[in-house]
Amino acid sequence: MVDWELVAFVALSAIEIVASILVVTNKRLVRAAFWLAITLVTIGGIYLLFRSEFVFLIQILVYAGTVPVLLLFGVMLTRRKIMDEATVEGS
Amino acid sequence: MSHGGESAPLVPNLFDVCKVLTLAILGLVDAILDGIGAAIPPLGPPLAGLSDFLLGNFVVTVVTWIIAMTVILLWATLFNLLTVMWLERKFYSRIQDRYGIMISIWSLPFWPFNRRDRPTHKGTGYLQNVADGLKLLQKENLTPATADAAMFHISPVLIASSTLMLLVALPWSSGFYIARLELGLLFVLAAFSLAPIGILIAGWSANNKYTLIGGLRAAAMLLAYEIPMILCAIALVFSTGSLNLFDIVEQQERPLIDFGLFAIPAWYAFGPQILGFLIFTVAMVAEMERIPFDIPEAEAELVEGWTTEYSGMRFGLLFGFKWLRMIAGAALIVTMYLGGWSGPVFTRLYVGNIPIPVFPEELYFLVKVWLLCLVFIWISWSVPRIRIDQILQIGWKRLVPYSLLAVLIGAGSRVVRP
Repeated sequence: MVDWELVAFVALSAIEIVASILVVTNKRLVRAAFWLAITLVTIGGIYLLFRSEFVFLIQILVYAGTVPVLLLFGVMLTRRKIMDEATVEGS
Repeated sequence: MSHGGESAPLVPNLFDVCKVLTLAILGLVDAILDGIGAAIPPLGPPLAGLSDFLLGNFVVTVVTWIIAMTVILLWATLFNLLTVMWLERKFYSRIQDRYGIMISIWSLPFWPFNRRDRPTHKGTGYLQNVADGLKLLQKENLTPATADAAMFHISPVLIASSTLMLLVALPWSSGFYIARLELGLLFVLAAFSLAPIGILIAGWSANNKYTLIGGLRAAAMLLAYEIPMILCAIALVFSTGSLNLFDIVEQQERPLIDFGLFAIPAWYAFGPQILGFLIFTVAMVAEMERIPFDIPEAEAELVEGWTTEYSGMRFGLLFGFKWLRMIAGAALIVTMYLGGWSGPVFTRLYVGNIPIPVFPEELYFLVKVWLLCLVFIWISWSVPRIRIDQILQIGWKRLVPYSLLAVLIGAGSRVVRP
């Protein structure tokens, strides 16, 4: 008999670890924010495995919904160049 | 309020109804397999094993779930979404006094509209939106050369999936729902809060200054208006004592003041929660990016804002799901403040022994949701767009303090009348 909760826990933890490594190694900060959102959602999933739905929903509401957006705001309001350089071939 | 009987939903339990459908389908498959097994004897034993597996508990449960989810998806998109889009196009062409979707509202085939002195057209125009959708499906899916392709393609998925998550927890009546969550209200608010990151990624990844400005504006606005929304939900919880949407509706199913002949129902919008109701509605209009708050996609200055670079069905998905978010938002407001599916008269017709509600709960709920959608449409086609700094001022300097006041009033009303 497979312990499905253990499988879910291992899968969520693996996604979380990979995503959190990608947060700090990614060159593009908006992608880093996306992976941060993935990390926070998977942490929420682990809360759900602990049968604490309230903490899960607050995690989604506060962290997954808002913290990456705040990070993006920080990025976009402080960097001089936000977009990539437009390099069109042949010009 | 004269209750002509118990309130009754048309769908007593979505999963039971779907299970009947599942058993019918699987029974048909089973009969076909039996027929094949009888016709070709060597295939008999394996086919019998297959039909045993098909009628087993596992397959029946899985297929029932799939059918239930399909039913709720088709109900939301194919019925509600198309109808509200149709209502909007009819209604705004009347407001702007022009020929809209098949000659405005004058083509409706019943009394106040079918006047002789007005231009009429045979046909209601209901399929116009289907035709538009088909047109979008045929168009090419363009990706800008300088775009971040992976992020550009993932953000419509993020937005669409977070919108569909709303449908998990939103009940359409006391029987027509997917999940009866203890924390349903919080779940819906959490699903609403997932959209800004998708919008911001959409705005950034297209690598276009219009989309970037639109995405930044959208994120700033959605963040600012989420706070009063959640504070109003907190104020409501002081009155309800529960985050379960079914409990919240049940508490509103009684008369507030009974005049004998008619009664004012105890909807939360009529009590001390009226301030919270107004703020929540305004914040919800902003959350849907409808016109007084549609600066993120101001078509005149930003060419549709963060959706500029999307083409084909990706644009159709983003565009249609805006209406789906409006319906979901209106359904949430109706559930929280306007009595949900409770209504004045519930009578039943007995066909044999099976009671069939004449005015089912779904009807009341739909009428309320569509009327609220019409109010939003009415507002959005009769007021001008306001500037982004004005939007943020209203959000942070007006709605947040007022929603704190609503929390205070909610707590005070709890103390005065527990």
